[in-house]
Amino acid sequence: MRKNKAMIFWFCLPALLSLVLMFVYPVCRTVLMSFFQVESVTATMADWSFYGLGNYTKIFGSASFMISMRNMLLIWFVGGIFTLAIAMLMAVTVTSGIRGKKFFRAAIYMPNIISAVALATMWIQYIFNYDYGLLNEIVQFLGGDKVKWLGTDLKFWAMTGSFIFGSVGYYMLIYISGIEGIPQDLYEAATIDGASKVHQFTHITLPLLKGVMKTSVTFWSINATTFYLWSKMFSPIDTESSTIVPVIYLYDIVFGGKGITKRDAGAGAAVGVVLTLIIIVVYLITERLFRGSDLEY
Amino acid sequence: MKMKKTLSLLLASALSLSLLAGCGSKPAGSQAGSTPPAGSTPPAASQTGGKQYDGVTINMWSMWSSGEPQANVIEAAAAAFKEQTGATVNIEFKGRDVNKVLSASLEAKEKIDIIEDDYQRIANTYPNILDLTDMAKAVNYDSFSYACLNNQVIEWVGHLNSIVEQPQIGGFFYDKAAFSAAGVTAAPATWAEFLDACQKIKDSGVAPIAQDAAYCDFAFYHQLTRHLGEDKITELDMNGGWSGTKAEQAAQDIIDLIGKGYFVDGAPDEFPSSENKIGFGQAAMIVCGNYVTAEVDTQTGSQVDWGFFNYPAVDGGVENSAAYAGANSLAITSYSENAQAAFDFIIFLTTGEMDQKMATEAKQIPADTRNKAYPSLEGSVEALLATEKPMTWCAGFHANTDLKDTIKSLCVELFEGKYATGADFCKALDALY
Repeated sequence: MRKNKAMIFWFCLPALLSLVLMFVYPVCRTVLMSFFQVESVTATMADWSFYGLGNYTKIFGSASFMISMRNMLLIWFVGGIFTLAIAMLMAVTVTSGIRGKKFFRAAIYMPNIISAVALATMWIQYIFNYDYGLLNEIVQFLGGDKVKWLGTDLKFWAMTGSFIFGSVGYYMLIYISGIEGIPQDLYEAATIDGASKVHQFTHITLPLLKGVMKTSVTFWSINATTFYLWSKMFSPIDTESSTIVPVIYLYDIVFGGKGITKRDAGAGAAVGVVLTLIIIVVYLITERLFRGSDLEY
Repeated sequence: MKMKKTLSLLLASALSLSLLAGCGSKPAGSQAGSTPPAGSTPPAASQTGGKQYDGVTINMWSMWSSGEPQANVIEAAAAAFKEQTGATVNIEFKGRDVNKVLSASLEAKEKIDIIEDDYQRIANTYPNILDLTDMAKAVNYDSFSYACLNNQVIEWVGHLNSIVEQPQIGGFFYDKAAFSAAGVTAAPATWAEFLDACQKIKDSGVAPIAQDAAYCDFAFYHQLTRHLGEDKITELDMNGGWSGTKAEQAAQDIIDLIGKGYFVDGAPDEFPSSENKIGFGQAAMIVCGNYVTAEVDTQTGSQVDWGFFNYPAVDGGVENSAAYAGANSLAITSYSENAQAAFDFIIFLTTGEMDQKMATEAKQIPADTRNKAYPSLEGSVEALLATEKPMTWCAGFHANTDLKDTIKSLCVELFEGKYATGADFCKALDALY
């Protein structure tokens, strides 16, 4: 047995070493860096100067960072409610025995297989376009005046709406797999007992999907926290406060932006640590809220 | 069992080695280190009758993506340079985001001889960049380059550390046909002339000005610079106190332009919708960098007969002749073992035939002042040569990095017509502090 354990150890060693070098080390370095004044990400430790909580004070005192946090929380909360609710609705509809189930499932999932860059371009240049965009065509057809969907008032919501469109399919698939795992005899028994479809949904489907919902909330939280590409696409030349999110703020302070040459990797590391903590806190809250949701049928 | 242990050790080692191999460097033969140091002395091969840089390899990281006109010209220049000198130029087209990896790569002293990026970043951000003063003097660089750009680099760094490859100039780029049709015969030089031209163009049925949201801060920065000057903008940007200054007048000027209906319908629009309206004949001019001409022509498939004029002077203005000027430049790493060969390639690329090819095919201003600008940029060489101190890209607005995004959004709101007066706009700016 001892010999076998040694063999397991030696086989695991390369993977373990890779994990330590490529994951544990960067994480530890980033956490450490967040307490130092560091200009460049790759600066040697000899060039770091201890800053205590200075980087954290700096980012939490920064108007841009606070706006980015507000934007991120709105994407997480409002976007999350819409995305997960629509995904659930679609999943229930698609699994309800309607005709063309495969078509609808593929159609709703379609945005996930299209590059997000292409998807964002379609929304910006076609759907939201002021002159010939689909939305303004509809508004004008209904007799209204053209709307500036990408003006400062609506840009954030235009971006969030586009992101929701691109995300629904993914969560719908997760819910479909959860719903299809629920034994059909539960529904049959409920139908015999006279339960309506709505009752079946609220008393069977929803309670039995708690575990899946926990997973999707965690995934959504990670998606919202690492939100980046859509923000870049909606502010193509330079960052704007209506679309800024923490990862964009991090990117700008670590690498500099258009016309910006000042860099601050220490503050960037602090942003990274804060985002990680947010994900951990959300995960722990979700775990607590959905406790006891792991069911076996 | 011993056999099994040995086998497991061997397998684990093999796995580890394969992982490490993946992270390894290129074969020794492809490294610049395998070539003799050049410095100002040609390599040994030249002493035996070969070409000057036979056996020399220069590694270049470009900011363009393969297939772009600029990349094609650089590749053509590399091929011609090899033919002429024997040096091989390995080019890695890293794309626009090269700036995200350059700092780390230069700090790690990766095998790079030449880098290509914005000249401000080369001057102020990147480590291990070579002082090119002596090499530039040796080729009399001052005689065929732009003094304003060279002086700016020297002001930032203390010496010349980059060679201009693609100069840029900012101001009003306009459709000559739209101006002629409206009866505007001369480019406006003052604000009053500008307003007069706008009215004539509007009366001719074309919207005078296009404006994309992405460039609202850049456009307003021009107006602000005319009234306040860059130093004052920087001071206000850092400390606030915009109200009661000439910033109110600058904002009011923009509000008046909106009130008179001089902006094209939809402005400020999402980039590049508004600028494209010049190509579609719906708008006559735009404040931008010179690259807007190539962008509009490409995006709309039109061939606009472009003209350029500096941002108009305002009454009582302080920096009435300042113009934005910038550049994508080339620099050499301080640890390059083939610095002289690299410099010779840079000069080969940025002068004479190759530079003219770049100006023509990429529709740009030539780096060599003896060459001709692309027809749509006619007059830009002269304008750049006449510029004494260039404005940097929204430099005053970028001094306070913490507020730049919010100020940019306020500028978009200004062009959206959200403020009734210039004073209201300045109050909104002051509320940020």
